[in-house]
Amino acid sequence: MESYIVLVISCIFVNNILLMQYLGNCPFLGVSKRMETAVGMAMAVIFVLVMAGAVTWVVNYYILKPYDLEYLRTLSFILVIASLVQLVEMFLKKNIPALYAGLGIYLPLITTNCAVLGVCLINMKEEYDFIHTLVSSFSYAAGFGLALVLFAAIRERILLARVPKPLQDTSIGLVTAGMLSLAFFGFKGMIH
Amino acid sequence: MIEGLLVMGGLGAILGLGLAVASKVFYVYVDPRVEAVEELLPGANCGGCGFPGCSANAEAIVAGKSSPASCVAVSQEVIQQIAEIVGAKIELKEPEVAKPNCKYGVFDADRKYIYDGVKDCRAAILINGGEKECPIGCLGLGTCVKACPFGALSIGPDRLPVVDTELCTGCGTCERVCPKQIIKLSSNSLAIVHEYTTEECTAPCQRACPAGIDIPGYIRAIRDGNYSEALIIIKRSNPFPGVCGRICVHPCEYECRRNLVDEAVAINPLKRFVSDWEREKGVHIQVPRAPEREEKIAIIGGGVEGLTSAYLLNRLGYETKVYEATSKLGGILWLGLPENRLPRDVIEWDINGILDAGVQVELNKALGKDITIESIFKEGFSAIMIATGGWDMKMYLSSLLPNGFSPLPGVQLLLDIILRSKKGEDIELGDSVLILEGGEASLQAAAVCKEKGVKNVYVIFRDSDLAATQKEGIEILNHTVLTKMGGVGNKLKEVEICEITEEGKEKEGSRRVIQVDTILMGAGRFPELIYVLKQDSETEWETVSPYAGPEAEQEIGIFRPGEVIADYKAAVEAIGAGRRMTASIHNFLRGLPVEAPKNMLKKYTQVLDVEDVQGVKPVPRKRMPKRKENELEDSFLEIELGYTEAEAREEAQRCLQCGLICYRKN
Repeated sequence: MESYIVLVISCIFVNNILLMQYLGNCPFLGVSKRMETAVGMAMAVIFVLVMAGAVTWVVNYYILKPYDLEYLRTLSFILVIASLVQLVEMFLKKNIPALYAGLGIYLPLITTNCAVLGVCLINMKEEYDFIHTLVSSFSYAAGFGLALVLFAAIRERILLARVPKPLQDTSIGLVTAGMLSLAFFGFKGMIH
Repeated sequence: MIEGLLVMGGLGAILGLGLAVASKVFYVYVDPRVEAVEELLPGANCGGCGFPGCSANAEAIVAGKSSPASCVAVSQEVIQQIAEIVGAKIELKEPEVAKPNCKYGVFDADRKYIYDGVKDCRAAILINGGEKECPIGCLGLGTCVKACPFGALSIGPDRLPVVDTELCTGCGTCERVCPKQIIKLSSNSLAIVHEYTTEECTAPCQRACPAGIDIPGYIRAIRDGNYSEALIIIKRSNPFPGVCGRICVHPCEYECRRNLVDEAVAINPLKRFVSDWEREKGVHIQVPRAPEREEKIAIIGGGVEGLTSAYLLNRLGYETKVYEATSKLGGILWLGLPENRLPRDVIEWDINGILDAGVQVELNKALGKDITIESIFKEGFSAIMIATGGWDMKMYLSSLLPNGFSPLPGVQLLLDIILRSKKGEDIELGDSVLILEGGEASLQAAAVCKEKGVKNVYVIFRDSDLAATQKEGIEILNHTVLTKMGGVGNKLKEVEICEITEEGKEKEGSRRVIQVDTILMGAGRFPELIYVLKQDSETEWETVSPYAGPEAEQEIGIFRPGEVIADYKAAVEAIGAGRRMTASIHNFLRGLPVEAPKNMLKKYTQVLDVEDVQGVKPVPRKRMPKRKENELEDSFLEIELGYTEAEAREEAQRCLQCGLICYRKN
């Protein structure tokens, strides 16, 4: 039990995928202008990452490992994740239109997102078992969501502030992201 | 190596096949028209159409829930293309643009405190409603500018929003985000049907004008030398600038804030100046017309009120036709005013301006004699507006028309009936008669009715000391008003009456319909009414009463107290009434409720105002030059000569451009 709690805290705070590992910066800057889109994106990432984590674990241990093909991990994971997202999108559109309306526009954005691929590869590198893989995927995604929502809230405030012209929009966004990252450095060393 | 190829190839093949199967299994039919429509929409997702975004609107358009013209940001051609895709008929809309309705920025207005917080109006308003004294003043922090999806707004040097009319699409995003509702969509059509409310910045003169002309607006245009614009501003409310510029009783000038310093601005002579300028140029300046609409409207009576309505309805895009009983348009203007105050060519010029706009006219056609409600509806008109004139016109017309003549089906004037019965004439009244607001003469008329063999007589009063009684077939009803008439062809069949409370409001659930053949009206003239066909009928009609104007003390029924006399005491009152008729007809035909806005400024509405004016240097009012006395002997030449251009522009400078409490300080 304890190992799970440590894993959750480690994934969300200490090794935050956005602010400590710098993966998935594209949506971090892209959809963080409004809280509404940030929350939608966070939900979509959680949804996709948990599924991708499970599927890639199966692919790794039941297809690649038996044939000693782990050097094809990155390539096959990209293929699997992209197909999975496509499939999920089609499934949602047909069967759960309400969920599709909420997450639909974010799903294609995640198809080839490095945060998703990155987490799947980390899971394999750390050699987690299946349950740990699920917990880790969920927690990394939650950490992604946390960082995105925090950042969106700050950016909404920045909109109202008087920012010097050359620093407006993405520039001030990057500066803010850097500071947020520095703040997360405070968690460093909490868990080894 | 081989294994690697096999696994990757196999994985790819399986996933590819899986996806191919899934795309069949999970196939959802999307109407290709939705995509085509979405392609044409701008993708700004501004929400001006009332849907959450362009794709939602595209779906709604294809589903028929939204109009192809609902997108405000695309051109007419694109609207046509969309209409072609979905095969729908479209009603074109006059383009609207955002118009800020605050005249003085934060630095020029009185302030309660100095705000230095988050630069957003929605935040600023949380502190005691913003820093301005005026509760409806623009805070100038640019919430609208940030919200505009088309970059059409900016904050000007005086910290008021400036609209780039080229870029503005009229999506209304700014209107929705402004926490004080200062920025509103505007167009000529909206200006025509507009009533001043307590929630907008108005000058005292504007509020006093019975026609509701934007007086500071046209004086500003004159000051800037933009005379055509001044005329358009005037003609949106009053198509008689030449006539009114001479004979108007100008209540505006009595309310002018300059009276607190020296003398009122020469509001009316300035109106005359632009009209004279137009006449000298020889071209009628017209309010731009909204895209043509299907409906045709007939107007009975070619006097000031009828012509005003005909002109304004024409500008709203309707086809209008005026039926005039005499051989001349203009009614009482020709009869009641001396030539040296109102030269005849001025009347002709203003009337020609109305005809020039495309208003059709048929002269020598009296309703009830040459034409009837039935015959007009048969010609395909959607509404008939009654503007037959005041009692003076009735007296004049009675010499031209047969005895006992009445224009409206089943409606007679009470006095006519009493006089005719005294002369011993035969009067056809039918089985049931409703007598309306005739004071004690009502009872006399009721007796006449009984004498003529009428079975049921209803006497209704808005207010009366007479006891409500019911005897011998005469029923007296107090606190009751007539709200609607209904009939078939040229026959009155029924009326709807309604009880009112002490405050003059409708008593809930008291509306009832009674069968009536004739109505006797106690007033000296016929009411202003709109006749429309009942739904899905070609002969059955009913009436719609125009909404009550600012003078009316009660809102319901016809002949509202306060309004009866007011509409005819001056030409400008008739023009105001004509404009309200226009708005009533427009609202009715567009399926909107025929009522005034809830917070409309009325005669006794208290608005924020100032009691003294500071920081304004006295400047004497320019006098209009007068004709020399020797020229006036034995002639009816006009006495006052009107301003020269230089004089007019100098006089226009005197205008303080007032708002509720702001004004221009030197």
